[in-house]
Amino acid sequence: MISIVLQQGINGIVIGSLYVLVALGLTLIYGVLVQINFAHADIVTLGAFAAYATTHFFGESYVVGIAAALIAGAALGWLVNATIFSPLRERGSELLPLIATIGVSIMLQNAMLALLGPIPYAFDTPYSNHVLRLGGLFLTVQNMLIIVVSSASIILLYGFMRFTFLGKALRAVAQDRETAGLLGINSNQLIMLTFVIASALAGMSGALLGPVLVLTPFAGTSVIVKAFAIVIIGGFGNIEGTIIAGLLVGFIESFTTQFLDPGLIDIVVFALLLLTLAVRPTGLIADKREENV
Amino acid sequence: MTRFRIFAYSGVLICGIVALAATPSSAADHIIKIGALLPISGPGSYFGAQDKQGIELALDQANKAGVGGYTFEVQYEDSSCAPLPATQAAKRLIDEYKPDVLIGEECSDATLAVMPIIEQAKIPLINAGSSSIKVTDPGNPWTFRIMPNEVMQGVDIATNAYKRLNARTAVLLHENTNAGIGNANVFADTFTKLGGKVLTDIGFGRDVNDFTAIATRIAGMGDVDVIPTYTLEGQGLKITQALMQAGVVKGGGGKAIQLGTIWLPFGFEQKAGNAAIGYIRIVQFDPTDQRPLVRDFIQAFKAKFNADPTHLNAHAYDQIMLIADVVKRGGKDPQSIRDKLAETKDVAGTTGSVEFDKSNQNVKMDTVHYMETKPDLSWVSLKWN
Repeated sequence: MISIVLQQGINGIVIGSLYVLVALGLTLIYGVLVQINFAHADIVTLGAFAAYATTHFFGESYVVGIAAALIAGAALGWLVNATIFSPLRERGSELLPLIATIGVSIMLQNAMLALLGPIPYAFDTPYSNHVLRLGGLFLTVQNMLIIVVSSASIILLYGFMRFTFLGKALRAVAQDRETAGLLGINSNQLIMLTFVIASALAGMSGALLGPVLVLTPFAGTSVIVKAFAIVIIGGFGNIEGTIIAGLLVGFIESFTTQFLDPGLIDIVVFALLLLTLAVRPTGLIADKREENV
Repeated sequence: MTRFRIFAYSGVLICGIVALAATPSSAADHIIKIGALLPISGPGSYFGAQDKQGIELALDQANKAGVGGYTFEVQYEDSSCAPLPATQAAKRLIDEYKPDVLIGEECSDATLAVMPIIEQAKIPLINAGSSSIKVTDPGNPWTFRIMPNEVMQGVDIATNAYKRLNARTAVLLHENTNAGIGNANVFADTFTKLGGKVLTDIGFGRDVNDFTAIATRIAGMGDVDVIPTYTLEGQGLKITQALMQAGVVKGGGGKAIQLGTIWLPFGFEQKAGNAAIGYIRIVQFDPTDQRPLVRDFIQAFKAKFNADPTHLNAHAYDQIMLIADVVKRGGKDPQSIRDKLAETKDVAGTTGSVEFDKSNQNVKMDTVHYMETKPDLSWVSLKWN
């Protein structure tokens, strides 16, 4: 039984790490812009297909595929923000950009459907079926890579937000955009940077999720609901909270599957979400929304 | 030309146009209108993509010379393998296209949702993808199913697991849908009655992506002989790979054999890789079948699409060809097509033969073929039926 508990713990860390990567981009955008980005899921999908194309059509290594997904995500984030979200924000409406994210999501899904077709792709990497076994425990090299890349990304993002000038400026914009502007911070440029970082993270998480997900043009949609839940549980915009909530949801999935029933996973996760909203609406970490990001 | 002649010709022309416009039935145009409810988007959209190919090939052939003076046309609607979009699609088709006959859906939940609508509209529906027993039991007089239902499949596969594979323990894996739960229950009932033991029954939603936790749970259960699995292709692929990684199935060095039904298309083995070794599943189309009908179908399909046909292609092809057969026997409008469908006896199709019982269920078991994936990822037909 101990080995099963340990194994489910490992499983929880792997899936939790992926959720964290997806949710970090969402929480970053919300923290800075107070905007929910429904198109985030589709950037995850695009990242998965970018990595798939890089490895399967161009014969490059999976690591190059991850980099390609990161760049594709960042480029799409820049493009969508520059051409759609930014002009709508300038009109002063909060609702228009929100609705636009839904429109962008539907457009991206259908564009990918037209281009790539509906049949699931088998995205196996050289590491997918390479299984490391120790006693009763097992871990694929792919899953080990997921943990390593996710951890590195989280550390880098955390360091960027806490210790760099740009990170501090981003936090300033998140807390009070007008005052930040008075201090000489160009909030439009920082908003663009937020979109690019968040979308790059989404693209990269797609590359890591691709071999785990059922890869179709709708793949990202299947994880985005949980990512939203994680953002709420962790506290809108709170990076530390998102990391803890992501791992928590990963553990909930593993241990609910083991000891209860996988059909109950969503009930447990969303019961936790409701509990958080009722007891601690600012999330697991912060006491005030302004403390997030 | 005198004014009188101009007036007379104009009158004749107008009368002709009015008469044509007033003709109520498409049969007068010698066209049988077929509405196709297919999942074109969402996780089941691989069904729709492959169904379309089979339909297009059948239309080419049936329309070449026509059947009894009729040709056939198809209007597609995306029913998304889910109840709500399926009902919306069915209403759109019925209200706007006014079909003589409908085909679809693939997913049981979607089919069950549209059945009351087609019954009310009195338009026959031919189904070749939904296994839930509820489609024909109780069903309705307007719904016909040409594939084996979950009881026919489940009893057969459980009996074969117990008697041919000597399986005594099973773990059930299924999506939480009418078809998933129904198929798993039938297997469990039959297997238990024969003396087998179901160790656990694991259901999950279609949004589950990572099956490592489920595979870990199964690995912790000790000796498992068979794992009947009822999911769409995408999740099926991930389950099979997770079971291999956990060392449960033959492909991962374990002893368990995964069993599947007709939900998975050909090509699954190549996508799953070594994880699929030893997988035994029901398919409704055997490409090694030597009947001329099957050989001709394969040849024509390859010529048109430059690919080997799957059972989904064959299913869709058979649905159109069954309609053509019904028209040949005198069906020309929804009522007569329904009546002739009910009289169908031993009509040969690429997936097997068709003969409906009183509940409009095809009773022919020659539609059930078993195949096993070999270590080189090729497969053999097991000839169990």
